[in-house]
Amino acid sequence: MNTATFTDTAANQAAESRWAVETHGLTKRFGENVAVNGVELLVPRGCAFGYLGPNGAGKTTLIRVLLGLTHADAGTMSLLGYPVPRHRDTALARVGAIVDEPRFHGHLTGRQNLQILAAAREPAARDRIGPSLERVGLLHRADDRVSKYSMGMRQRLGVAACLLGDPELLILDEPMNGLDPAGMHDMRDMIVSLVAEGRTVVLSSHLLDEVERTCDAVAIVDRGNVIRQGPISELLAGTSLALQVECSEPDRARSLLEGTTMAAHIEVGSLGLGITLPGGTARDVIAEINRILVEGGISVYRLQEIQASLESWFLQVTSRLGASE
Amino acid sequence: MTTVPAATAPTATPAGASRDHRGSPIPTGSMIATRFMELRKRRGLMIALILVNIGIPTIFLTVRLLAHAFDPKSYGPAGGYNIYTGLSAGVIYVFGFIVAATLGCTAGSVDLTEGMFRHLVVTGRSRLALYLARIPAGLAIIVPLVAIGFTIVCSVCVFAAPTRLNYNGVNVPAGLSRAGFESWAGDHPNLVICDFPYNGPGLPNVPCGPNGPVINAPSGSQGPGQITPAQLRAAAKLIARQDYSIYTTQFLYPSDSLMIKTGLWIELEAVTGFFIGLGLASLMGQRTVAVILMIVLEIVLTPILSRANIPHLLNLQRSVVGVAMAHLAPGGLPVFGGGGGGPGGGQGNPRLVPESTTVAVCVIVAWLVSWTVLGAWRMMTRDA
Repeated sequence: MNTATFTDTAANQAAESRWAVETHGLTKRFGENVAVNGVELLVPRGCAFGYLGPNGAGKTTLIRVLLGLTHADAGTMSLLGYPVPRHRDTALARVGAIVDEPRFHGHLTGRQNLQILAAAREPAARDRIGPSLERVGLLHRADDRVSKYSMGMRQRLGVAACLLGDPELLILDEPMNGLDPAGMHDMRDMIVSLVAEGRTVVLSSHLLDEVERTCDAVAIVDRGNVIRQGPISELLAGTSLALQVECSEPDRARSLLEGTTMAAHIEVGSLGLGITLPGGTARDVIAEINRILVEGGISVYRLQEIQASLESWFLQVTSRLGASE
Repeated sequence: MTTVPAATAPTATPAGASRDHRGSPIPTGSMIATRFMELRKRRGLMIALILVNIGIPTIFLTVRLLAHAFDPKSYGPAGGYNIYTGLSAGVIYVFGFIVAATLGCTAGSVDLTEGMFRHLVVTGRSRLALYLARIPAGLAIIVPLVAIGFTIVCSVCVFAAPTRLNYNGVNVPAGLSRAGFESWAGDHPNLVICDFPYNGPGLPNVPCGPNGPVINAPSGSQGPGQITPAQLRAAAKLIARQDYSIYTTQFLYPSDSLMIKTGLWIELEAVTGFFIGLGLASLMGQRTVAVILMIVLEIVLTPILSRANIPHLLNLQRSVVGVAMAHLAPGGLPVFGGGGGGPGGGQGNPRLVPESTTVAVCVIVAWLVSWTVLGAWRMMTRDA
């Protein structure tokens, strides 16, 4: 098979792949420490995907392995359908990434730094310097030295650097670091707009709230393992349901409900009765609880379903993991 | 942050993809140009390089020019052959290497230390191409810089050269033929007899001046008898005949061929320094220690290893790049670190560790290739 045929075949396979990122059994060790432990990750194309985990969970290491910044010890991976490291140059041509804190040559201006990076990409990348700077709101400071930039401005310059290659896939490692609330809001908007353009954005973060607001799907990583992954709505659907009940006799209400098998956990607090229902409980159970209390002669002043958040789910998942050890 | 709506969605294939050979190890012109810009914009480094390579000889020569202009009897001309050999072999040769090595160390390490390396790797560009782009970019700075410093030295040494040759403390017309030199000696017998060296036979006992000491007098002999002017002239011509070969190696100013050869030799030294610095800094991943090691190599190790005679380590001494470079010094230049020059340059210097020109060339090529390979290998395998 000649080179042209081989390249065409790889391009066809890449175009057919529905995954922007695909890893199987990906492993990276640093001595005895396993930073990435047999990770199976599937990131669909055209979505915002959150890669969540506490500090030291191996998020950045996985990104570094994917981008060829360090080698993998085992496993296979592909970016945009191209197996890497075999077709690393072809795959990375359509990838933009920020890894860790974005750093640049401080003695050069933002524009000059982008010129260096554009020179390493295809010739058309040079024409994208201005639009990229404009898009991240740095055009008016483009000719200032980077040493005079704030952390947030460097983050934006990092995003501008990502956009130079007109990427299909953006991998952003902790992009909200150093941004003020307005900057975080703008970054969120930009991620949404990038996804709306058909690009895939992988967002690595430990800020669960930000990820929940921005992403369509997530993977949870802990100690190098991906422990859950999928669309946020599906993942949260399996979580336990919480109810807050404000009633006349909380202690008697508790006794009544403990006589049933509906609640997983009941506690009496200053706000009334806190009830945790098992995951997958039908919403009819809420009405049934209300009926039991009313029939028991207890006045119910307020009954509120507490919406499960990504944060609470993350804590449940990780605490279960900790408890099982 | 102003979010501007995107004009276009990502295209299926990158624009200009047909011209995109980012897997190729050959750097593009724009990669070299931007790398050149990155180095050139380092204001502190550039000022230091210019000061050392151009500033030092310029200040030295300017002071000499001014001193000679204001008090020509006390201070000799600013230029001339001796000044040229001292500045080119003693200053520009050594500082050119250090300056080039510093630039090489900077080019080899700053991407890593300033966090740009991973941005560059993520572009998908071949790491080898990223390394190789630094070579023409760095040479485009260091070669002209050394050339400018050397040109200033050559210009002053030629245009501000003395009008008469100073041979053993005596002002002698330059460029005389053998007959002309003897004729001049015959006209100035006292100067020649008193100040020119002579160690041959056949010279009569002649006085240095009317009441001066006797030259060539055997111990215990009484003064010369009556010496006629003709005998004095004959004695002076005899001395001049013997000294002519040494006289021919004395010049008012360097010849064109010597300047060209010296220029090429100094540029080769600078290029070598740049390549070694680039490779060493890439290997170590930092600049400061690499620069210190390069200075130690040039200022401390090379002079010691080129002079010391260590029988069991002779081949090791020969393999030091500075020793090999000294062997390629053009004839007529003193060798760095002391020792006389001579017609054969480094090859003619008996104080240097013996080494053939072929071996010297092989050593230099080996250093250039080895450090380039080491630096490129580390760049290709390093975690970014």
